[in-house]
Amino acid sequence: MDTNVREAALPVGGVAGIDRQPFEDFIVHEARLLDARRFRDWMALFADDGTYWVPAVPDQANPLDQASLFYDDRGLMKTRIDRLEHPRIHVQSPASRTAHLVGNVVVEEADAAKGEFVIGSTVIMVESREDKQRLFAGRQRHRLRREGEAFRIVQKRVDLINCDAAFDAMAVPI
Amino acid sequence: MLDRTRDEISRLVEPGRIHRRVYTDADIFELEMERIFGRAWLFVGHASQVPMPGDYMTADLGRQPVVMTRHHDGSIHVLLNRCTHRGPKVVNERCGRSNRLVCCYHGWTFDLDGTLVGVPVPEGCAEGFRKEEFGLARAPRVGEYRGFVFASLAATGPSFEDHIGPMKRNIDDLVDRAPAGELAFDAGMHRYAYDGNWKLQIENVLDSYHVPFGHASTVNKDGVQFARREGDQAGAKVVETKKESTAASWKERRSYTVGNGHGWTSNTSLDEGKRASPTYDAYKRALADKVGAERAEEILTPRLHNSLIYPNMSIMGLNIHVRVIRPIAVDRTEVNIYPVRLVGAPPAMNSANIRLLNVTHAAASFVQTDDLEAFARAQKGLRSTATDWVDISRGLGAEEPDRELNATRELATHEMVVRAQYKAWAGYMREAV
Repeated sequence: MDTNVREAALPVGGVAGIDRQPFEDFIVHEARLLDARRFRDWMALFADDGTYWVPAVPDQANPLDQASLFYDDRGLMKTRIDRLEHPRIHVQSPASRTAHLVGNVVVEEADAAKGEFVIGSTVIMVESREDKQRLFAGRQRHRLRREGEAFRIVQKRVDLINCDAAFDAMAVPI
Repeated sequence: MLDRTRDEISRLVEPGRIHRRVYTDADIFELEMERIFGRAWLFVGHASQVPMPGDYMTADLGRQPVVMTRHHDGSIHVLLNRCTHRGPKVVNERCGRSNRLVCCYHGWTFDLDGTLVGVPVPEGCAEGFRKEEFGLARAPRVGEYRGFVFASLAATGPSFEDHIGPMKRNIDDLVDRAPAGELAFDAGMHRYAYDGNWKLQIENVLDSYHVPFGHASTVNKDGVQFARREGDQAGAKVVETKKESTAASWKERRSYTVGNGHGWTSNTSLDEGKRASPTYDAYKRALADKVGAERAEEILTPRLHNSLIYPNMSIMGLNIHVRVIRPIAVDRTEVNIYPVRLVGAPPAMNSANIRLLNVTHAAASFVQTDDLEAFARAQKGLRSTATDWVDISRGLGAEEPDRELNATRELATHEMVVRAQYKAWAGYMREAV
């Protein structure tokens, strides 16, 4: 007889009564744009007031009083992407190749009246450049706003499990 | 093999060139750990990182783990972070607060000044065992200036004043920008690493020659970099797009040395008169309220870009921060960069500085990443034996005295500051410990 204690049921369903499939589709789409290096199309997913945040401190409370790996508004995102497309970006000569895997997608919060949703997921990105391959892993949360038939990203936050480690140069978003 | 003689070290450094082995030879790296990092004054941390009695932070001096503590009486101590019993690193956390430092292995317990206060099962101690002889070792010499704490692992050598004195004004330049006259290192830190020798980083912080090409990806088609600072209306003109390859502003900039391997570069030309924004203006008013309008104007007129306090720390005046260089191996280096909070400045001004540093010096920044690529490629290229020599001769013989600053100066696109580092390097390396 199996006497092992079963793991407690985790609330994998998230917010009840909300179909997570459209959200999962959106997040997979976003990851595929990054893997295809379609950075301008990726940026277009963000709302005009949208931000992309990768904290440098575990459970970082605020991007304004602590250092972050990335904290880009649309203006900085554009500068970053202009640079990624610049012929003399030495740290991307040759360019990185990436493969993102997103999973464990959960609708964590839903405000149907405002049309805003927070989607939690887990991301793994493998990056290869020259002869080196490295792995990034973390939890991510997307705050999405429904605009007509589409979603736009109000904030994408990626909490890398090793966010406070020393990193070799990082050029592409996770 | 290295025979470690004065002659052999001397042969690695010539007036305008250095031997590639200074970057690639693991024996030379070992000797650097002993003869430079084993005795030079090294930056440890800032007093604001241990503000209260019981606070501690860990660091590495060269490869040796240390812990900086704030003792019950308010004094700061730099202790070797190694249990005097069987050797484990006693404090494992990056920072924290505790009344005692306790080794995880057998529970030997030390006070915040390193005194051994507890040994479990004391009846087992050998006859004649004296606790007083088993305190955590202290860094033999510790010095502090305006919160910047330095330590030397050698009991003798040039005094703190001899070493740091000529660079105090560079520390002042940063600290004076805080309306309260003090800095706080409490905004986290950026950490990056690269497969290259530590000297590639300290040479780079004073290298103005690389900017137009090395950082070409950060400028627009008009040769102008993204606006860096709060209140700037435009970024610096980095590349001249018409006739010449170098923007006029680079011809005005100078670099300076004052001996001991230290140096600095004068600031990038930006249109200071037009610097304005509600946040910047509020900060300027806060500073003027403390020091007067005239002095505030003087403080905010940039004079310094990067300053190097040889061998392991630099201060940047443009997008303000303090950088600490940590050698790991002959071909591996880690760097920590602290944003500094100007105490008394409006929170929005400090936020603007923190956000700017994210895009200039984070591991994922726009600027630092191209430098890291250059360091890694230098380490690879220097494997070549096609020539043994690395050229650092730009401006050789064009150095001139600056009597007002009591320094030696040269065009910032020259390499005097690198030559000055190797003069200090050879000075340390020739002398046995």
